[in-house]
Amino acid sequence: MNTKIIRTLVKKEMLDVFRDKKTVIMMMVVPVILYPLIFIGAMQVVAFISSSMETQNYRIAVDAGDDDAFLHKLLEQGEADEEENAYEITIVDAASVADYEAALNEETIDVYVAGKMQDGRMQYDVYYLNSVTNSDYAAGIVMEAFDELREEMTRQRIEAAGLNVHEILEPIGYEKENMSSSEQSLGSIMGSVLPFMLIISLLMGTMYPAIDTTAGERERGTLETILTLPVTNRQLIVSKFITVAVIGMISALLNILSMGGIAFYIYAILEMQSDVGSFDMAMFVPAILVCMLAIFAFSLFISAVTMCVTSFAKSYKEANNYITPLMLVVMFVGYIGFIPNLELTRAMAMMPVANICLLIKNMLVFKVDYGLIAVVLISNVAYAVVAILFLSKIYDSEAILFSEQKGSLQLFEKRSNLRKGGVPTVSDVWFVVAVTILLVLYAGSLLQVKYGLAGVFGTQLILLLVPLALVIYTKKDMKLTYGFTGTGAAGFVGSAFLAVGVYLINIMLAGGLMKLFPQSAENVETTFSGIMGDNVPAAFLVIALAPAVCEEMLFRGLILHSLKARYRVVSAIAITAALFGAYHMSLVKFIPTGLLGAVLCYVVWKTGSIYPAMLMHFLNNACSVIVTYFPEQAGRVVPMLMRDTLTFSDGMLLLGAGLILLGIGALVLRKCRKT
Amino acid sequence: MIKADHLIKTFVRNEKKNRKMEINAVDDISLTVEEGEIVGILGPNGAGKTTLLRMMSRLMKPTSGQVSIRMGETEMTDEIEVKRHIGYLSNNTKLYGRLSSRELLQMLGTIYGIPEQTVEERIRQISEVLSMDAFLDNRIEKLSTGQTQRASIARCLVHDPQVYIFDEPTLGLDIISSASIIDFMKRERDRGKTVLYSTHYMEEAEYLCDRIVMIHRGKIISEGTPAELRERTKKDSLRDVFSGLILEESGSILPDAADGSYEQPGGIKGGRA
Repeated sequence: MNTKIIRTLVKKEMLDVFRDKKTVIMMMVVPVILYPLIFIGAMQVVAFISSSMETQNYRIAVDAGDDDAFLHKLLEQGEADEEENAYEITIVDAASVADYEAALNEETIDVYVAGKMQDGRMQYDVYYLNSVTNSDYAAGIVMEAFDELREEMTRQRIEAAGLNVHEILEPIGYEKENMSSSEQSLGSIMGSVLPFMLIISLLMGTMYPAIDTTAGERERGTLETILTLPVTNRQLIVSKFITVAVIGMISALLNILSMGGIAFYIYAILEMQSDVGSFDMAMFVPAILVCMLAIFAFSLFISAVTMCVTSFAKSYKEANNYITPLMLVVMFVGYIGFIPNLELTRAMAMMPVANICLLIKNMLVFKVDYGLIAVVLISNVAYAVVAILFLSKIYDSEAILFSEQKGSLQLFEKRSNLRKGGVPTVSDVWFVVAVTILLVLYAGSLLQVKYGLAGVFGTQLILLLVPLALVIYTKKDMKLTYGFTGTGAAGFVGSAFLAVGVYLINIMLAGGLMKLFPQSAENVETTFSGIMGDNVPAAFLVIALAPAVCEEMLFRGLILHSLKARYRVVSAIAITAALFGAYHMSLVKFIPTGLLGAVLCYVVWKTGSIYPAMLMHFLNNACSVIVTYFPEQAGRVVPMLMRDTLTFSDGMLLLGAGLILLGIGALVLRKCRKT
Repeated sequence: MIKADHLIKTFVRNEKKNRKMEINAVDDISLTVEEGEIVGILGPNGAGKTTLLRMMSRLMKPTSGQVSIRMGETEMTDEIEVKRHIGYLSNNTKLYGRLSSRELLQMLGTIYGIPEQTVEERIRQISEVLSMDAFLDNRIEKLSTGQTQRASIARCLVHDPQVYIFDEPTLGLDIISSASIIDFMKRERDRGKTVLYSTHYMEEAEYLCDRIVMIHRGKIISEGTPAELRERTKKDSLRDVFSGLILEESGSILPDAADGSYEQPGGIKGGRA
């Protein structure tokens, strides 16, 4: 490869990007100006709040009949505190308060204390408004007074009984001592937040230049110019990649410096005001160095990934559409830093995004394993290199440049401008799938917690109706989009064989995966049986029938057909299956459901109809329901189901039987002609 | 000289109801342009002119056929080698607006592998010939249309290519700007360069071209010097020759809309985003 050409191209890209105001603003202004501004603003607000608190006068009404012990205590405390905290307590005559609830709401008093003699002791009720800051704070003061009063009275009574106060009140002594160094404590706090911030700032930093150098270049019409030059695809892609990665790194460093500067400033202020315990900043030097390396490796990775996405966009708008799902995934994985007790294992060290999060987290609490650091760094760089080489192989400048505009977001077009028929565009589908999944995540899980089985049904309806709304709005052809075409009996028979075959193989896979991830497997089981309840027909309807219709229409209908119109069949099936696996949101379920998804896609592709896939999905889910409700009967048919752990021979038996059934199913489907 | 050998370019178009249709935008065209010769490509919209020129400048891969350049005894067919000796200009080859003309030319020089000294020398020469001194260091996005066009020509010149391929270079320009381009092509031809260009302007082609190739629906329908064409068709002007031939071919002077729609996807149609 000619490095001179690449150097020149990189220089050109850099000039081009840095002379664009938008990039510079995105890169510089946010970390260098916006963060400090937000921080100063927040400081001002806090200062304002605390200053207004200081001069606060709390009005407390006490109605305790003849017993004035509490009133005395409260006044005593108010006087004592006046010197320290500088707040005042005004005792309001309880007799003047006709309706304490109204008085609280009108904020003429902050707390109302009512006490009366009950079973030989005073019983106090404290009325306050948790929603009003002053009232809440005053209630705290009142509770403190109560605590002191109670302790005082206890002491008096023990003394009166002639007992040793110390022995009775404190029969044992104990003290807590934090053995982790102050650096470790600081590190563990930063470790949960910093990786996420870093990943997001790197993603944000690379996103814009990635779009600008790929889709932007096409949109500005300079791509055709550069293609007239004696430059290979690889040189072009590599130089763009270097540019994007470097800019991403710069913006990430700026972000970190800015955040670090603010953190240092806060620390300095705190140190001046009180002793928070001193930190030895030098201890963080190795951690910071490794973090820098991690940033470097991750910026390569994330640049490669964003470029793989944006290179195929024909316009800025389209590139943005492509980036959105990527962002959702990266952010989702980035949350991993917040999960406690997740260890960086050898397998985890190979997981993109997650590995960087965990590495930084570990470094900040001084857990150092050079082997794992190497695995993380090397795997990131390796993924980036593979992605870029792959991209330069498949990047077809001709298709990007000269092919017709297809696959843009039609959803926001005026409806009268949309042409009738066809299947929805891929961009539309991505957008709607993202919305649907978010809805299912939030609304769906809420519904499930609240209404159990009915909630699951509701979730399925979301899966069905939101995408359906898209299809209707964009005037697409229902028959084509969903595959509502008839097929012969062979299609149904074949898919029934496939269903049972996949089911058997999945028992084997589930057994194996449970051994690998025991915790995750337990989770799946408890949530599943928790939802089902006792109503067997309802369970059949909701767990077996509804997904067979709703999930099929979304995945094997809308998603598969729109992808198929755009990409090759194999890619369309692979993407749909992976999505279907990911949609089940569990590490253990990903592979089995992904496999099921792939076979379902195959059925739809072969028969040209969605109905056999619906049947197959129904059979699969029905098997699960049967196993849950009738374990003994099911165990008699397939004994492996009821064993806690599968032996190797069990696994092979299941795999063999499954493969044979799959083979028969596939053979039957070959007989099936598309109608 | 540049030589196109049985070039075919097939586009697959998605017709309604998921049926795909194949169209040959360029249908078996062979063409040779010698040194010191200007050849003009004429044809109605959608005839395949742009596709042909894009294939000859190796921006597009032909579905079948080959493009080669010969300089003296050496013949080149490799994509990168061929591109090295071509200066290609079209309405879609925009310049980097955020760079100055000088920066652009320096960058191109390095990419073409020209020594730094020579690049500086060439920039000075080009700037003089195209009178670009006044705006050489301004950002290209700040230039006027005429200045941008001159910067575009400078872009094609910097590596002193043997072959020039221009796709409708005078489209939409005022008389002075287009005259400067026409002068430029004549000058380069007289220096022994090979010039291939497409146009809609008959008078311009008649005045400038040594040879004219008329294409329609992806095929060459007639070829020769302007005088030969006039003689062959017994018409007085090239304009009449042209409309006569098209009429003869398609039975109508209006180009078939169905055929025409695949032309210029990067420009007019693609711009609809």
